[in-house]
Amino acid sequence: MKYLERRVVHGMLLLIAVSILCFLFADLAPGSFFDEMKLNPQISSETVAALRSQYGLDQPLPVRYGRWVKSVLRGDLGYSFAYNTPVRSLLVIRARNTLLLTTSATLVAWLIAIPLGVWIASRSGGWEERLAMAGTSFFLSVPELVVALVLLYWVVRTHALPAGGMMSVDFDDLGAWAKLCDLAAHFVVPVTVLVLASLPILIRHVRASMVEVLGAQFIQAARGHGIGRLRILFHYALPVAANPLISLFGLSLAGLLSSSLLVEVVMGWPGLGPLLLEASISRDVYVVVGAVMASTLFMILGGILADVMLVVVDPRVRVE
Amino acid sequence: MGTEAATGSAVRSALVEARGLSKQYVQRSPFSRKRFVIDALIDVDFRVAPTCLTALVGESGSGKSTLAGCLALLEKPDRGGIWFAGNEVSGCGARELAALRPRIQMVFQDSAGALNPRLPAGQLIAEPLEIQGRETGKNLRARACELMEEVGLSADWVDRRPLEFSGGQRQRLALARALALKPEFLILDESLSGLDLSTQAQILNLLLDLQARHALTYLLVSHDLGLVGQVADFVAVMHRGAVVEQGTRQDVFGRPAHPHTRQLLNSCRGIESAFRSARSGGRS
Amino acid sequence: MASRRKIIVAVTFLLSLHGAILLAGFVAPQDPAAQNRDFPFVPPTRLHFVGAGGRIHLRPFVYSWVARPDGLYQYEESREHEFPVHLFVPGPRYQIAGVFTSHTHLFGVERPAQLFLAGTDNYGRDQFSRILFGGQISLAAGLLATAISLFLGLCMGCVSGFYGKWMDESAMRLAELFLVLPWLYLLLAVRSFLPLHVSSGQTFLLLVAVIGTVGWARPARLIRGVVLSSRSRKYVLASRGFGASNAYILRRHVLPHTYGILLTQAALLVPQYVIAEVTLSFFGLGLSEPMPSWGSLLASLQQYNVLVSYWWMFAPAIALVLVTIGYLSVANAFHQQLQSDSI
Repeated sequence: MKYLERRVVHGMLLLIAVSILCFLFADLAPGSFFDEMKLNPQISSETVAALRSQYGLDQPLPVRYGRWVKSVLRGDLGYSFAYNTPVRSLLVIRARNTLLLTTSATLVAWLIAIPLGVWIASRSGGWEERLAMAGTSFFLSVPELVVALVLLYWVVRTHALPAGGMMSVDFDDLGAWAKLCDLAAHFVVPVTVLVLASLPILIRHVRASMVEVLGAQFIQAARGHGIGRLRILFHYALPVAANPLISLFGLSLAGLLSSSLLVEVVMGWPGLGPLLLEASISRDVYVVVGAVMASTLFMILGGILADVMLVVVDPRVRVE
Repeated sequence: MGTEAATGSAVRSALVEARGLSKQYVQRSPFSRKRFVIDALIDVDFRVAPTCLTALVGESGSGKSTLAGCLALLEKPDRGGIWFAGNEVSGCGARELAALRPRIQMVFQDSAGALNPRLPAGQLIAEPLEIQGRETGKNLRARACELMEEVGLSADWVDRRPLEFSGGQRQRLALARALALKPEFLILDESLSGLDLSTQAQILNLLLDLQARHALTYLLVSHDLGLVGQVADFVAVMHRGAVVEQGTRQDVFGRPAHPHTRQLLNSCRGIESAFRSARSGGRS
Repeated sequence: MASRRKIIVAVTFLLSLHGAILLAGFVAPQDPAAQNRDFPFVPPTRLHFVGAGGRIHLRPFVYSWVARPDGLYQYEESREHEFPVHLFVPGPRYQIAGVFTSHTHLFGVERPAQLFLAGTDNYGRDQFSRILFGGQISLAAGLLATAISLFLGLCMGCVSGFYGKWMDESAMRLAELFLVLPWLYLLLAVRSFLPLHVSSGQTFLLLVAVIGTVGWARPARLIRGVVLSSRSRKYVLASRGFGASNAYILRRHVLPHTYGILLTQAALLVPQYVIAEVTLSFFGLGLSEPMPSWGSLLASLQQYNVLVSYWWMFAPAIALVLVTIGYLSVANAFHQQLQSDSI
């Protein structure tokens, strides 16, 4: 599996590079969390200086980076000045929530996009295709922010589902099944927004890929042999059309994470998004670095997953 | 140009001379240590006689185009020296090189690729003049029209784009462009390949005309032995990066010394004799 | 042909949108900063065509809003007086592009009635006017940031494709770094490392610089591809044979091939960057009150009571969608034109 090995090494190098980039930015930053503190007249400058040296912020950049790398390898990701807790405990919970949201949204989106795209491709040239292209064009033009706000509005007006957050206030008092239902109810709206945001482009790509494959001669041959339409579509055509789609999956991860950040903030879903936003506003350096690294890690893992799928699905990749 | 004159010029010093030219192409695969080394030129000694047509023949991959590229100063050899009109070229600085360039020009095989499809013919032909700063403005256009007429194209077509010309007309365009700077040495890298026989003949006649008028020296790179047999004064045969035989056409074609030359000639004997009988008199 | 017509239609639509926003002072009936403390959260003024006694007017008219005594922020129309809508009415002074001053507005009504086509916010400011003026900010941000991205991408792509070897390698690795990160995460991270409390003018420039710089990677890659393929053409080699310098070859033979890509990328990037600015301002990391960027206009929807009761505060979203549709259709049309050109 030389191909996969290369991809893993590549991913690790990328992580390292991203961490260096983050630290470079942090160093170039005019001012920091403590400069904000300095503006507070109640805190003396000596206290600020003491805090700075306590967090090691008065050391030169390579030293700080080296210390950070060492602590990361031990599992310690630094300290959050704003929350007054280790970054790691914050990240783990938030990352888990974001992962929950994004993986579900991806699954649902692809589960809808593939059958829909395949069906539209099979009816190429008909009104279904024109409707789909017009519909996807329109939805592509609506920014996710707007979709999120509109959905939030609808939910708030109709009281059909809880608007925002991950759990109800009385979550801890509920029984196990009720807890699950509560989670699910809070889940629906953010996932819907994410799915609506990614669906148009997915449907278009599935359709385009399938149309191209359906025009190939081996499909004609299969038809000539009298093989049923459904079988042709899913057993013959789809595996061949899957290659560019898997690449698309790999490439769409970045956009997915950005979208989820937005949705999490608007819907109040306690994921990496709101964490990064707050840390961004309060210049909480280690949290920002941690959140960016976490997102990069997700991207890389997702990319490797895509590569694995590619190797499994497309025999041509194995020959290399 | 008769044989006597050709032999006579062989006594005179060569216009272009190459000694010990070597060039390697190295391709390295990005992640592994493997290197693919191709020996394009191996210790090549080569001479081009002035105001004659020297042909460079050999199969694909024999290094003809690489040698032509080095002589055209478009590629740098790894080792060896090149002399032009007695002056050494290989050690030249940028300024001397720039002064030399107008004297050596090249016409490529693929005329469509060699001419920028977005520019009209006039601008394409005038490009060398523009780069060298020899003419400006209206004079550029006038000179371009002159050159077009000289190569047999109507000056009315000066604003047409290359793809509106036929293959043969495009090669005339490329030729006009190559002549813009009044070079002494013209390298034709498979310029006649890919043209149909009648067009080939027309272009050939044009080339010979121009040679007579401007005292040009030609280097014709070709894999077409029949063509070479018609027009060349001198022939050099290349095989796997080395020049295996060099001499007058009569010597090389009539009394081939190297086994590879004999092999080449045998494979197209039939075509050659058909040519010779078809064009009785030819250029012998 | 069809794709050319599509381009014309799409570009016309886009230009008229931009025209309206550029001439915001003229098109907007009110001053965007003018507060009407007596009329917070007024719903959009309704245009009527049928008057008292069932008379049909050709010219639409409005009724004056009057606060209802029973509830907070409840209004009803006072049917006493009909105020017709006129064209080219005098109104508050404004400046176009900082040069041209005037009093005349495209349309309006006489006092004491006020025309709130998109309602008012909590300070009683006319949303319609604010949307138009906010468009100036958001669109300018998008356009400037696109210019920065394309310029950086062009430079890096040309250097990368032309000079090759280690410059190319390092530039492309750097590009990969920028492309692998989710854009919003990257934007937030970079923004977080920059000072928060600066003047609004500086914030604008900062925002534009950050958004534009972060997005250099994709155009750079595309340009590099074009440069690489142009560079290997025989006519470039021929030009070198004539003694052409690198600058000449870049100018004459390579750059013209990039124009198509630059145009299409521009049409794709502008809406993305406008959305980026709107998102950042919405989060409070970009332009905030009192600057009427579409993002800060939409930010009021984060309050529960506003979201629930005052639906007209969604209006900036419509403007955003219109701009996005405009640019995407232009990008589509360009793309189709380019495809048919290269065939």
